[in-house]
Amino acid sequence: MNQTTRKVMGILGLIILFLSLIFFTGKFRSRYTFAEDLIMTGLSPVQGFFSQIGLRTSTFFQGIVDYERVLEENKKLKIQLAARENVHYQLLELQKENYRLREMLGFKERTEYSLLPAEVIARDPSYWFETITINKGYADGVEKDMAVVTSSGLVGNVMLVSRNSSRVLMLTDSRRAVSALVQRSREPGFIGIVEGYPGKKGHLRIINLPPEANIQPGDTVISSGLGGVFPKGLVIGHVLQVGKDQYGLLQQAIIIPAVNFNRLEEVFIVVELPPEKKDEGEEVVPSEE
Amino acid sequence: MKVKRWFLLRNKNHFTLYLSIIISTIIIMVIQGSLMTFFIVSGVIPDLLLIMVVCLAFIWGDKRAIMIGIIAGFIQDVFWGPAIGFFCLAKMIAALLAGLASHEIYRDQIIGPMITVFFVTFVHEIIVFSLTGFFWGNTFSFYFALEKFFLPRAVYHFILTMFLYPLFYRAEQHNFFYPSFK
Repeated sequence: MNQTTRKVMGILGLIILFLSLIFFTGKFRSRYTFAEDLIMTGLSPVQGFFSQIGLRTSTFFQGIVDYERVLEENKKLKIQLAARENVHYQLLELQKENYRLREMLGFKERTEYSLLPAEVIARDPSYWFETITINKGYADGVEKDMAVVTSSGLVGNVMLVSRNSSRVLMLTDSRRAVSALVQRSREPGFIGIVEGYPGKKGHLRIINLPPEANIQPGDTVISSGLGGVFPKGLVIGHVLQVGKDQYGLLQQAIIIPAVNFNRLEEVFIVVELPPEKKDEGEEVVPSEE
Repeated sequence: MKVKRWFLLRNKNHFTLYLSIIISTIIIMVIQGSLMTFFIVSGVIPDLLLIMVVCLAFIWGDKRAIMIGIIAGFIQDVFWGPAIGFFCLAKMIAALLAGLASHEIYRDQIIGPMITVFFVTFVHEIIVFSLTGFFWGNTFSFYFALEKFFLPRAVYHFILTMFLYPLFYRAEQHNFFYPSFK
């Protein structure tokens, strides 16, 4: 066997080895391996540091460019916030009333959640996998499949957990589908990524809607709670365009996500509370099962 | 005795070289995942690690190229890979091609590595696209990905190499990747 043949055989051997590794490690992973965990734990503060530098630089220049617009937006937001505060207290009252009435009627308790804040410290640079890294891990109680949200809506779910950081699979990743419904008409369907939609990355589409489904541009799409990963009622996005699927049998719609996935800075991990925590006065996000 | 000394020296050099590659890869991955996401141009984010791998493989030739690709790919797998071995394979082949190309192209003229990076980017992206499709399924068609992702990224890498290759070339000239312990 000459040297060239040995080299080619060696490369082929490596290719087979890597393909086998992909096959065995590409599935069934919920936690990093010990070595990966060690590296991620050591590097998450460094990632956070660089992320902050990037964020501040970007915000600084954005602030100069958008100064007038930011001032105007700030005024509007202050007015909106004042109005929302009133609504917030009304909702709390209604929530309490709802608990009392459900208890009186003997309804099953709703599952309740608390929100664990986390910072985005890194983002997957490839276009194939839409994941971000956050600075909370299993040491903070984070587990695989916990939902991740922002104040605007649903971001995704925890995919891999290390001690002090976790990887979050975002809604725009092509490997996922979320059970969802149209808030106005309550039509059930599934959320997936838009294929080839005007070259714009990050759009979603709702598919498997029956032909008679009542859906129109501007409708809000929310999580349905089916599947057990995402609580019901989290905003996914707004319908941009409605049309037939490729076979012309069912309807589908393009959705603009409620969350700006390119500018994620802070997120919340939705942590399910054990039943006894409910009465401790914590502010919770209820979800009907 | 002479053989033993040569053997130890060779290992020490190899050790420092691979340690330098590991450290450089980690620094680039940290910058890539955090700082670079704020400098996306027209929706395209460059793969700094791929540029580093191709430049170093181009400078050092195909003998070291495979090891550079595997080390860099493995660290990328730990940071971002959907599975261990995914970027190892893609980066190894990219590095090998760059190493082979260096036999035919002058290393001290910038246009050679720029063209190499441009074409190797295509190969790397096609491997990633194929592996993704095979193991998890693609939602993009090949032609869509070619037009929207591969070509813009290859052009971006082509331009960035103009600035980054001289850095790696000078670092190599000044023995940055195998410093002496004296």
